[in-house]
Amino acid sequence: MPRQTKNIFRKENISVGYFYNHIKDRFNLTLASKNVGFERLITDQNLHRPGLALAGFVDLFAFNRVQVLGNTEMRFLQNLSREERLASLNQFFEFQIPCLIITDNNKPQPEILEMSAKYCIPVFRCKHPTTKATYLISDFLEDQFAPRISIHGSFVDVYGVGMLFIGRSGIGKSEVALDLVERGHRLVTDDVVIFTKKGEGIIMGSGTDLVKHFMEIRGIGIIDVRSMFGVRAIRFQKRLEIIIELEVWDDKTEYTRTGLENKTLSYLGVEIPYVKVPIIPGKNITVISEVIALNYLLKHYNYDASKEFKKRLTKKIKDNTDNDHRMVDYFEHDFE
Amino acid sequence: MIEKTVKIINNAGLHTRPAATIVKLAAHYKSEFFIHKDGLSINGKSIIGVMTLAAAKGSSLVLTFEGIDEEEAAKKIMDYFKRGFDEM
Repeated sequence: MPRQTKNIFRKENISVGYFYNHIKDRFNLTLASKNVGFERLITDQNLHRPGLALAGFVDLFAFNRVQVLGNTEMRFLQNLSREERLASLNQFFEFQIPCLIITDNNKPQPEILEMSAKYCIPVFRCKHPTTKATYLISDFLEDQFAPRISIHGSFVDVYGVGMLFIGRSGIGKSEVALDLVERGHRLVTDDVVIFTKKGEGIIMGSGTDLVKHFMEIRGIGIIDVRSMFGVRAIRFQKRLEIIIELEVWDDKTEYTRTGLENKTLSYLGVEIPYVKVPIIPGKNITVISEVIALNYLLKHYNYDASKEFKKRLTKKIKDNTDNDHRMVDYFEHDFE
Repeated sequence: MIEKTVKIINNAGLHTRPAATIVKLAAHYKSEFFIHKDGLSINGKSIIGVMTLAAAKGSSLVLTFEGIDEEEAAKKIMDYFKRGFDEM
């Protein structure tokens, strides 16, 4: 079993500057206030619409979240007199909110910008309607605060199936990955793979920014798969779908024979199908990997070869009429 | 399992040459050898992994050794870290 200690990581906060720089182009976010408060920290992945807080009810106000002001909040503020608006916003900004996002292309009132300058809290504008903006920003924050795990292995897209090869150092994970690339499959990353939980039940994997598609092949050294095989041989991210553990053939280990029982390995609380493949001389792990991927796809499209075979066997035992085991009833003339 | 914390003390940090030496040292032993830093856990027998850490001077790493020859492996590799990769 692979070790899983100390390799789980989760961000506790991100700065507003980091947040803004990463989403401004993606989600059409612009800075409405002065360039202040970018060092403030976002510690919560959830967003908050502070309607009630603006109206004066600040019990249980989730002020540590990114605050989103939609049409309702903006219309509410608009309907107040300047004094009321200032009072409401002052109470609101007094809480140490990380930043404010005004959606649906609404324009911030001058009082919002005054308060922003007074409390050094940045205000952003987003062109998207509130629901869409909330969805996009939540998704980004969820990814930022999602748990991550780093695994030693090679991660390859085989026929569109994300396969992770694990096993002890020197067993030949990189060689299998290289062989798969040579056969037209795509390398996600080799050696250090970082997996991130996305939503419930999805694990996404990618490489590190330093390594990207470089890999080490023993006896050669470091090679760059992208420049060697071109852009068709790589991809940046892939959903993890199968884990393959390579190990030296061991007489004492029992390997799967029928494929009826499905083993899984848990990464970040998500169960991933797991296959142990023994290595012996003359065994082509690359082809076996391709077959595992194809079998996975067949199962995905509701065809499980092992179950199908079991069904046939059960039927044959039950019927038990025909003692002729040959597949072809009668060989017509077809010989040389 | 043996767990040790080390600091990088040489000016150039954990660059290519020391990374290669660590990997070669680790390869002599049967024990599993992992290096942990900032939530990354990398196999100390893989050169790409060790270089991924991009550990600069002053950064602190946790090393773990597990296997039949863990004590000897830990001693040899710790010693190399403490010597500042022979660059002091």
